[in-house]
Amino acid sequence: MAARHRHRFLQVISLFAAALLAGCGRSEPIVKIGFVGPLTGDQAPQGEDMLNGTELAVQHAAAQGDVITGHRLVLVALDDQRSPTQAVAAAKKLAADRDVMAVIGHLNSSCTLPASAIYHQARLLEISPVSSNPQISRQGFDTFYRTCATDDLQGPAAALFIVRDMQAQRVFVIDDMTTYGRGLANELIKKLKELQAEVVGHEGIPQGDKDFVPLLTKIKSLNPDLIYFAGMFPEAALLIKQRAEIGLESKFMGGDGLFDPVLIGLATPKAAEGVYITTIGSDIHRIPTAKQFVAAYESRYGPIGAYSAYAYEAASIAIQAIRTAGVKDRSAVLTAMKTMKDYPGLFGLQNFDEKGDSLIRDIGIFTVKDGQFVFVKTATWE
Amino acid sequence: MGITPLQLFLQQLTNGLTLGSIYALIALGYTMIYGVIQLINFAHGEVFMVGAYLACSLLIVVSAAIPGLPWVVTLLLCGLGAMAACGLLGIAIERAAYRPIRQAPRLNALITAIGLSFLLQNVIMLIYGATDLQVPSPVPMVRWNVGGITVTVMQLVIWTSGAGLMLGLHVLVMSTRLGKAMRATAQDLTACALLGIPVGRIIATTFAIGSALAAMGGMLFAFHYGTINFHDGYLVGLKAFTAAVLGGIGNIPGAMVGGLVLGLLEGLGAGYLSAQWKNVFAFAILVVLLLCKPTGLLGERVADRA
Amino acid sequence: MQPAVLNRRILKWSLGAAAALLLPLINPNPYHLDVLTTALLYGLLALGLNLIVGLTGVLHLGYAAFFAIGAYTYGLLSIRLGCPFWLGWIPSAAVAGLFGVALGVPALRVRGDYLAIVTLGFGEIVRITLTNLDRFTGGPNGLVGIAHPVLWTPRGAMDFGVASMPYYYLVCVATALAAGLSVRLSRSRIGRAWIAIREDELAASCAGVPVLELKLAAQGCGGAIAGVAGAIFAAKQGAITPDSFDFILSVMVLAMVVLGGLGSIRGAVIGALLLGSLPELLRGFEQYRMLIFGLSMIIVMRLRPQGLFGGFQRGSRNAAA
Repeated sequence: MAARHRHRFLQVISLFAAALLAGCGRSEPIVKIGFVGPLTGDQAPQGEDMLNGTELAVQHAAAQGDVITGHRLVLVALDDQRSPTQAVAAAKKLAADRDVMAVIGHLNSSCTLPASAIYHQARLLEISPVSSNPQISRQGFDTFYRTCATDDLQGPAAALFIVRDMQAQRVFVIDDMTTYGRGLANELIKKLKELQAEVVGHEGIPQGDKDFVPLLTKIKSLNPDLIYFAGMFPEAALLIKQRAEIGLESKFMGGDGLFDPVLIGLATPKAAEGVYITTIGSDIHRIPTAKQFVAAYESRYGPIGAYSAYAYEAASIAIQAIRTAGVKDRSAVLTAMKTMKDYPGLFGLQNFDEKGDSLIRDIGIFTVKDGQFVFVKTATWE
Repeated sequence: MGITPLQLFLQQLTNGLTLGSIYALIALGYTMIYGVIQLINFAHGEVFMVGAYLACSLLIVVSAAIPGLPWVVTLLLCGLGAMAACGLLGIAIERAAYRPIRQAPRLNALITAIGLSFLLQNVIMLIYGATDLQVPSPVPMVRWNVGGITVTVMQLVIWTSGAGLMLGLHVLVMSTRLGKAMRATAQDLTACALLGIPVGRIIATTFAIGSALAAMGGMLFAFHYGTINFHDGYLVGLKAFTAAVLGGIGNIPGAMVGGLVLGLLEGLGAGYLSAQWKNVFAFAILVVLLLCKPTGLLGERVADRA
Repeated sequence: MQPAVLNRRILKWSLGAAAALLLPLINPNPYHLDVLTTALLYGLLALGLNLIVGLTGVLHLGYAAFFAIGAYTYGLLSIRLGCPFWLGWIPSAAVAGLFGVALGVPALRVRGDYLAIVTLGFGEIVRITLTNLDRFTGGPNGLVGIAHPVLWTPRGAMDFGVASMPYYYLVCVATALAAGLSVRLSRSRIGRAWIAIREDELAASCAGVPVLELKLAAQGCGGAIAGVAGAIFAAKQGAITPDSFDFILSVMVLAMVVLGGLGSIRGAVIGALLLGSLPELLRGFEQYRMLIFGLSMIIVMRLRPQGLFGGFQRGSRNAAA
């Protein structure tokens, strides 16, 4: 055969073979929990942090006996690389796998949003640990739940704290132009205007950018009382550091994307002193029920990140739903999830509203003091 | 505590010049390589990034091995080490990736360069991890207030290193035999080869020098911002290329001027217009310039390819 | 063409078509179908870029921008005006094609390698603009709630939803049509003129080929195809964000065209199938995915620079296909 024909022939054969092989299943009784998050790429540490939390939950659950009698509980982790397209592909993969009874994921709201439609169509339970964009739960999917507060709470809570507690009247808002950052910034500005504070400016910075000195210099000339940054800690660290470098004295506050111990190191403890942040939950270290979890996590994985607790929570709840259902059936799991009440979780008794949002709506306020995050109070949003 | 508009402007100017010096160092590499073999070395931005990472590793090693060294010496050691290593990397890249496909269409070289770019990025990612690497800068954090404008030691270091290296390069290219050979090769490669000039070695040397300069840029970048990420090479590389074209591709003084001008424009644009549109601004400059004056500010110097 | 050759060709293509059509019935796994659909969508993109880079020799590094424009056009029409997909893809193609021409006009005054960078610049400008224009494009949040295609069958309306099979067929048809179009174009006077421009622009213009107009035409056609792909993508995902249309995508599509062989139509599709499914095939080696991608590009360029099916070297007399 000519080389070209042989090539094509081999291609068809291999595609065929792959298709056939894929059809074969295994006969060992397994029940799977899926996990999707950014496991490679620049958010890999956060994704890994979440994965570790999920893994811990799976382990603890398995130690308490079979979730479904006679079935082994297995965790399947997929990488979405923070890309919505890959998130959809991963979602489809999990949805197609009949052993998967629940999915923990994703991290980024821009990924969770399209993926949630896939899970909904497959009647597959999805619990997101930290996707905080409000839009996701407003799509009307009964398969979607989340164990964190949403940005339409975090923004107003921050605004109230800024105006009432910090007595700042002139605020400059920066966001990182992502779904999450822009969304949070908009919520904050809405509330600030309601409270009649002055929003001196609102600018975006591209993620991955490093030089904010021009922007900060401009802000210095405007002299606001406070700068709020809605984004992630790599950019935040640079903002804080460069703010100190140019001698900008406005106070600095950020959203939950900053709540990572690495922030303080990157920004240098000296520059980060006195920075405030809001978080989508309370201080894990202050909750007595969480002490065991923190100890277990740190002994196995090292220093705990910001997201692992939520992932652990989400995974534990999902496993509980499967346990209650008792059979390997997605609809049964969904029903069990819907009727779940007062789950004794890390953050207290967990309940969910009809949209799937967690009813534990604590927004925590932290500040940086002596190189550590220190809890200040639980915020209110009205 | 406010500042006057004049002070604001001068401050933005200062910032812009700092950024511009780093762009200039990297732009030189692009322009030199393009000058000799008419290739946009897409991987050059990654060489910059590798240089940054190597300098950080060297810093850790040097600080541990010889504690208490004056910071200028530490800086020199890290800088020279990174430059040497990246110089070798540049030669390796040329030999392994570009030389074998010299005869192929230009598109292939571009694809190879892009593939190389991905390769380098991910090798670094696998070695150092995907998160930002924290860089404890050896340069002391000292600020001076000069008439309301803040100037830091780091900025001074960047200006002096940048200026020094560019001057050195200028001397090399203009006044030495090697420099003459480089200029000749850039002008007409075939003729040089026929005349017995070791063209292969010249090209390799060009790569080495360009890469070394980029490495220095990388080190300064890393110490200035305090964090580096394997992703940094892409955008900085692209802007440096813009700077090279801005000054006139193949034109060495042009790359220096282009770098400074781009840094200034970017800084002023971000400060006065919008930080959000900063990159659009940079690209728009490129496009407009190419349309109105494609030879760049100082005129390009490339071999004529009929 | 001789009857024997023609018959063999028809047989070959019929078998291929049959295999493609029957595949979902043999293996209905939605995940596999989805991977194949994505790869085929890349194939559509590769075919479009092939017109620009492969046939005409215009080095374009900003192709993702047209993909984005097509996606956003349909997305906005769907959300703001409730426009159904079967109508919406037409303006997507048109707008993207127009942008192709419009961006081409200034760019084509610039030579060779500069052109590549200018197109890269345009690509980035489009992406960042889409991210920044909150009020029109939804900014970084992108567009949510884009309507999926709805097919009117005798049994009632069938919404494609998030099922894999309907999109598979849709993309198959679109890709086949684009391939057919490419073949027709490449064999026509326009196509031959494009190839002439690629091989030797100076000679072509001396021979009376309207170089500028044809280059713009290539960019327009290529852009339009990307627009269609964008509309399909938006309809399939239901939600689109600007970060899906970055430089890496432009590079990947370019790599597919080059891997397949410049100018080769089947090469573009096969290159796309191979590289497009690579991320999923390498799922076990996530960490190494991009590394392998980069390495394979270098190796391919080294060992077989003309690509898999690249017959087009200087002096080749073979027709394109």
